[in-house]
Amino acid sequence: MLKIENLTATVGEGEDAKTILNALSLAVPAGEVHAIMGPNGAGKSTLSYVLTGREGYAVTGGSATLNGADILALEPEARAAAGLFLSFQYPVEIPGVPVMTFVRTAMNAQRKARGETEISAPDFIKKSREIARVLSLDPEMLKRPVNVGFSGGEKKRLEIYQMMMLEPRFMVLDETDSGLDIDALRTVAEGVNALRAPDRGMLVITHYQRLLDYIKPDKVHVLARGRIIRTGGPELAHRLEAEGYDGVLAEAV
Amino acid sequence: MSTALKDLIGNPTIAELELVARFAALKADARRLRLFEAFAQTGLPGRRIEGWRWTDFKAAVTSLDAPTTAPVRDPLARDGVATLRFTPARYTAPASLPAGLRLLAKDEVQAMGGAEDAPLGALAAALSGGKTPGTLLVEVGAGAPAHLHMVFEGPGAINAARVVFLLRPGAELHVSESHLGGAALSAALVEFTLNKGARLHRTVYQIGGASEAQAVTAIIEQDADAESFLTTLALGARIARLETRLVHCETGSKATINAAYLAGAGLQADITTHVRHGAPSCVTRQLTKGAVLDGGRGVFQGKFHVPRTSGQQTDASMQHNALLLEEGAEVFARPELEILADDVQCAHGNTSGALDAAQLFYLRQRGIPLTQARAMLTEAFIAQALEGAGELEDALRAEAQAWLNHAA
Repeated sequence: MLKIENLTATVGEGEDAKTILNALSLAVPAGEVHAIMGPNGAGKSTLSYVLTGREGYAVTGGSATLNGADILALEPEARAAAGLFLSFQYPVEIPGVPVMTFVRTAMNAQRKARGETEISAPDFIKKSREIARVLSLDPEMLKRPVNVGFSGGEKKRLEIYQMMMLEPRFMVLDETDSGLDIDALRTVAEGVNALRAPDRGMLVITHYQRLLDYIKPDKVHVLARGRIIRTGGPELAHRLEAEGYDGVLAEAV
Repeated sequence: MSTALKDLIGNPTIAELELVARFAALKADARRLRLFEAFAQTGLPGRRIEGWRWTDFKAAVTSLDAPTTAPVRDPLARDGVATLRFTPARYTAPASLPAGLRLLAKDEVQAMGGAEDAPLGALAAALSGGKTPGTLLVEVGAGAPAHLHMVFEGPGAINAARVVFLLRPGAELHVSESHLGGAALSAALVEFTLNKGARLHRTVYQIGGASEAQAVTAIIEQDADAESFLTTLALGARIARLETRLVHCETGSKATINAAYLAGAGLQADITTHVRHGAPSCVTRQLTKGAVLDGGRGVFQGKFHVPRTSGQQTDASMQHNALLLEEGAEVFARPELEILADDVQCAHGNTSGALDAAQLFYLRQRGIPLTQARAMLTEAFIAQALEGAGELEDALRAEAQAWLNHAA
């Protein structure tokens, strides 16, 4: 499903350009959930931004395909329409744009790009209500401007709300656990798990093992210095939690 | 034309000579002459005149040939609201008016206070008359709120119009104005006197062509406990100045002055305001938002004048925020607080910058195309400035949206 091969990317320009991803290779088959763990500065967030097309990063080598199609050549909105979704580590505030307006605009823009018909207002509201209930979101919150005045936990839950509304084919969750207490973590994980499907893939980026107790990964990759240095099953996450990154990093050198 | 008239303006441009000729063709009148003289002190104001550095009518108005632009739709037109229409050729008013409104179309021009400070307001007053009223007086009595709509449009060379409102004690007026251009030079002067406790809701929409000049001057005087709510959406013209001069004359007077400007390529929109706190315990809330494209120019000049003795307990705030949507967009801002009283609360803020890259990426990551994302964020940015327009807010927002979708 998602296939990344020898992906190399830099941030900055000219002499200041710094290589952040260094020949990174990774494959997530359809139906699987993979976790990416790694120390601070390993390139975890950079990977999520390069995949989704944020400005400021230059891909200098390698490829990334979603179901065989090159995504790196596409504008960010086209990647989204192709089914790629990023749950942001730091969701931004959008003053003046209510959540419902935003999500409906996004949903219809994606549908239009895919040649599908728009969702009707009653269908949209019905769907929104159900998902808000699953995530224990106050419906009033969905009438307020996107993320403005929301707590850290509310922002993360709103990311999952958007994900459930938009039903992407491939999801990248960037440190979704940061800023969540244990109850919120459980709620968010339930939402994420509800989206697990044979035709969907997921990349869960996290610093700690805790999230993976709730979102059980099929594989765990360790990212350091811009590349995957180790891949294993869920037990690898437990080992990292117990021993820290130093041991695994030392072995890899 | 007599030599004396020609000499009114030193070193005149061709357009100014045409204005002198226009003036000379109108019925001679001592007050009209005084108003024209007030204008002639500066002539068409330009960069050498204080307050006109960025809005240079002298350079921009090179000819007074009628433009060939197609008429534009009036987004503020509503059925059932009495409408006054001013074109270069005629003035029309409905046969019957709502209760509480009284109209008097006078041939003569009326004196204007502070004419020297508003040269294009003085010009509008000096050139009103002939086929349109020299002065249109509108009296608003106490009672149920009165609604009135005014349209200023072409076609023609010069569209000069003057309307003087008197709001009696306790009166409430909802007036909307559509300044639709269509003339080489459109100059409108609208004056409001608010007696004790009167309330004014004024909503202004301005649009103009790339070869047109427009000046909309408002002069507002407020008595004790009077309150005004002013909302403007300006889309600019070759050169467009929307100037408001407001005086709080007695204690307890309040004003909310909001404006949004959107300037596309080859167009300029200038929002200039001057507020004098001439009595203690008066309140001014001012918010101006703007967005400008490559080749467009936005100008904001705001001044609060708070005198030492009369301005005590003033509560005033001024905010201007501009978005430069593209490289090559220009915004000039001069917020100015002249505060001589010591017991006051005055605040001001002024920002200009580009759209936030993180916000844009967030919208695009969700599938919203770049152009639509820009329009959404820009609309959200200016929306607050249009919130006070009440029942007309939606109409103004629709115009702003159309502009943004077109611009994108």
